[in-house]
Order: sequence, then C-alpha cells, then structure tokens
Amino acid sequence: MPFRRAPAGRGVFHRFLAAAALVSLALGASAAHATPEGARHDNDKPRRVLAAWHGATPQPFQLNGIDNASLSLADVRTDIVIVHFFATWCEPCRDELPSLRRLVERSDPAQLRVISISVAEPAVRVRRFIEKLPVNFPILLDDDRAVSKSWNVSALPTTFILDRNHNRRLFVERDYDWDQVDARQLLGSIDR
Amino acid sequence: MTMHRRHFITAGAALSALPLLPRVAPAQATFAPKPSGWRSFQVVTRLEIANAGGKAQAWIPIPSVNEADWFKSNDSKWTSNGKASLKRDPKYNASFVHVEWDETHKAGTIEVTSNVSAQDRAIDLSKPGKAQALSDADRKLYTSATALIPTDGIVKATSDKIVAGAKTDIEKAQKIYDWVVENTYRNAKTRGCGIGDIAAMLTSGSLNGKCADLNALYVGLARAAGLPARDVYGIRVMPSKFGYKSLGAGSENITKAQHCRAEVYLNDFGWVPVDPADVRKVILEEPPANLQINDPKVVAARKALFGSWEGNWLAYNFAHDINLPGAKGPTLEFLMYPQAETVAGRLDCLDPDTFRYSITAKEVNV
Repeated sequence: MPFRRAPAGRGVFHRFLAAAALVSLALGASAAHATPEGARHDNDKPRRVLAAWHGATPQPFQLNGIDNASLSLADVRTDIVIVHFFATWCEPCRDELPSLRRLVERSDPAQLRVISISVAEPAVRVRRFIEKLPVNFPILLDDDRAVSKSWNVSALPTTFILDRNHNRRLFVERDYDWDQVDARQLLGSIDR
Repeated sequence: MTMHRRHFITAGAALSALPLLPRVAPAQATFAPKPSGWRSFQVVTRLEIANAGGKAQAWIPIPSVNEADWFKSNDSKWTSNGKASLKRDPKYNASFVHVEWDETHKAGTIEVTSNVSAQDRAIDLSKPGKAQALSDADRKLYTSATALIPTDGIVKATSDKIVAGAKTDIEKAQKIYDWVVENTYRNAKTRGCGIGDIAAMLTSGSLNGKCADLNALYVGLARAAGLPARDVYGIRVMPSKFGYKSLGAGSENITKAQHCRAEVYLNDFGWVPVDPADVRKVILEEPPANLQINDPKVVAARKALFGSWEGNWLAYNFAHDINLPGAKGPTLEFLMYPQAETVAGRLDCLDPDTFRYSITAKEVNV
C-alpha cells in the first residue's frame, strides 16, 4: 500500500505560492523510479518549489559555528538571507551544499548571504564532513535542536528565505537545486 | 507460434532425457529462529582518548536488558586509568559506565567486559492467550512520543492509513510491518545505524536509512496506532547460523556491528519481536546483493522477522532521549555507541578510528 507523503499538518506553513512568477523557480518533478526490489527510491521525489512562507515569525538565534565563532541572525542584513538546515547523515544535503556554494559564488555578498545550520550533530563530525565538502558560508551548530524546533523544521534539508528585515518570504522543505536560480530572481520573487 | 522441425526434434530429445536428470529442487532458504538453548558471549569494549588537551569523559553502554525467554545481562566489569562508575538512566534503566579523566592524563583508557546470554526467540502467533500483562507504566512509556518519534501529525496520519480496516492488534502490527518492509529501503550511505528522525523521513518522503531509522519508523507507527512498541538497541555478536551473511557479525571485531531491533506488545502474545530493517538489509546485502522482494531468502527472513529473531545479538537497552550525566553535549537520541567528550566537545561516535574504540566478541562456555 504505497502512498505519497501525507500533509504535514502544519496548516498555512505548507501553502504553496501559485503566482506565475514563482513557476520559474520550481523544479520539474523527477521521473518516478523504483528500486529493483520494488521499494520507492529517492528519485521519486515530489515536485520541489520555493513556496510562500506564512509560518510564525522566525525566532532570532545566535549560534556557535564549527570555527567556534558565534553568529547572530540579527547581524546579517542583506537583501536576501538564506537559512539552511541540514545534517551530515542526510543524503540529499550532500548535493545541496555545493549548489548553495555556487549560488554564493555568483552572488553579490552585499545582496545575498547563506547561513547553514547543522542539526544535532557533534562539531567534530560536521567539521570533518565540511573538510571534504568545503563551503563559502558559515556552518552553525544547533546542538540541542532548539533553533530547528523554534523554526518548525520537520524535515532535513529545509531552507528558508528572509528579506533584509528578516520577514518570512519563501521556504522549501526538501533539497533544492540552487543552480537554477540567482540572487536577482530571488529578489524579484520576494519583492513582489 | 510456429516451431521449426529441427528445434522440435531437439526439444523432444531434451524432454525424453528429463527422467534421467536429477530433479532440481526449487530454490529454498531457511531462516527460522527457535529457542534451542542459551549461548553465552563475552563482549569487550576498549576506548582510548589520547591527547585530550584537558579533562575528558566517556560513557560506555553495557547490556541492561533482562528478558527471561531470550536475553540475560550478566556481569560487566571494567578497568580504567580514570575515575569510573556505573550509572543508570532513570527512565529506561539503561546502564552505562561513566569515566572521567583529569588534565594529567595524556591517554585516558577504559576497557569494559560484559558477559551476556542469549537464545533464539520465537512467538507462536497461532496460539494467543498466554501473555504476561504489561504494566500501566510500561504501556504509557511505550506508547508515548520521544524527541524523534512523535505519535501525532504525519506519523499518526500515516499510521491511520496503514492500519485502516485492521480489526485486531496483530493485524495492525502485521500491516505496519509489511508497510515498512515494502515502502522503505536500506541506504548503504547512511552513517552508523541512522538517526531515527521518523517525522522527517515521512515529511520528506525519504523513507530510507538503516535500523535506527527503519525500525524506529515501525515503533512510531505502532505507537501511533495505540500499540506499545519499543526499539531495542544492541550489537551483533556472532554469525547467523542460518547462513545469512547480512544478519550476523562477520568477525570477532564487532566495532561497527551495532544493530537495533524492535518489539511490539500484543495483549494475546506479550512482546513480539519484529525487525523490518533486517528484511531490507537482506534485500540490499545478502549475496549476491540487491535481491528481489520475492527472493526465497527475503521471503524466509520476512516471514521469520515478524515474531522471531536469532540470538546472535546483544541487547543494550530500550532507551531514548538520554541525558548523559556530566555531559556538555546534547541529549542522545539513543545509547548504542560509546560516547566521549573532551574540552573540544563531543567526539564522533560514528568514527571509531579517530575516536579510537573497538568492540570484540567471543562465545564462551559457562
């Protein structure tokens, strides 16, 4: 009795933007694919879109990074602020982090910043993971899940997009291919 | 269909030769654990923290499960150049050795030796009615949510769909077992045994992982259906006597052989062993690997692992959300691996080569 993902039951948090402007940000659904033994495989993914984010106001946070430096969300004031929750055990996260790195590479640092947050893993593990998968944005440590809980993160990876004033704008509750968008497109979407 | 005359003659010759050939038996596989005597094992965990740069401490799980029919946690002893003591998680009675080293130790070491006895386990699901009652406290404990096993929201919604139409508890338990077997898969890339974040698995649709993911999914779906269920965290100690390479320890070195199983409580049968994660392990790993779900080896394991399991495995505990005494790091989802902290923070328990711990097992005559 295989069935697709059920609604997460978080109400407005899951309302997708129907606006045509966002269609360009949506990834086409991957072809359904079954493993040889018949189980559903990860390639059988639901359509991934950056959706409008109507959830509760995100809690400000201050966390230590894997470099032991502390970072506060309040200090990050670019036009676009991307907050990305991940874990080293999460397989799709391994593909998404390089994609985020490339987005940062082609973006104006005054316009877009990425903050990634490792959820409930020891710093030493995350450091070793990042040594093999270097990124150009801070990796913060949410040791006790306090931040991911307060942001209602229920799946990894999950990414939120805020504007300069840290208003809620967009989110995606799965891995996302950041190579298909640039800062200008994102800005156009959240300026609407 | 037309048949060429020459082919017809060849085919006829082959048919006439058939009675002379040995009969080829249909492919069969046997995986049928049954209680057939206790075996005793000695498991040694050695841990070293070199150049900690200051104070250090470690927590080593020791067997804490005692079930009359299938597992006895006998004595555990330890030697260490630190200050070591036995501690117990108050909620689940999960025991572990807590050892602390001060700044003067350049290399903190501890060796824990545990003796256990185990035997195969099988519940005759055709004979209801002999179960020992579950206490109210245990029923509450094993139907409650944990940090990573919620029993509401998407877990409840998924469980409701799975058990729809089931009239009895055993039907519900079987439906959930079948659903996990048929809708998840073992992911070789998952580190360790997985983390067991079942709401994340269901929300993302990434229904894959290893035992701590897949069997936790079973436990959460069962609890959401009102059935007491629990993970049993442990480690494989011996090869499978049924010849299943994927379901046993490959050698005396069992440092990376951690495996958690699950149980569901049914009023007519008591605690029933279930291990859908091992069915998926057989599918992925049993030679020649990537077996079909209808392969006889898979069919045999799938049939057996709802109601029985093999006693080639050590049970540490049933615990979730453990606060290690004296720890600076976060609450543990479960305690199946040795843990340690230095001034640099929590070490990576999934990296025994850099963390430097080893676990070995041997069978002993008592």
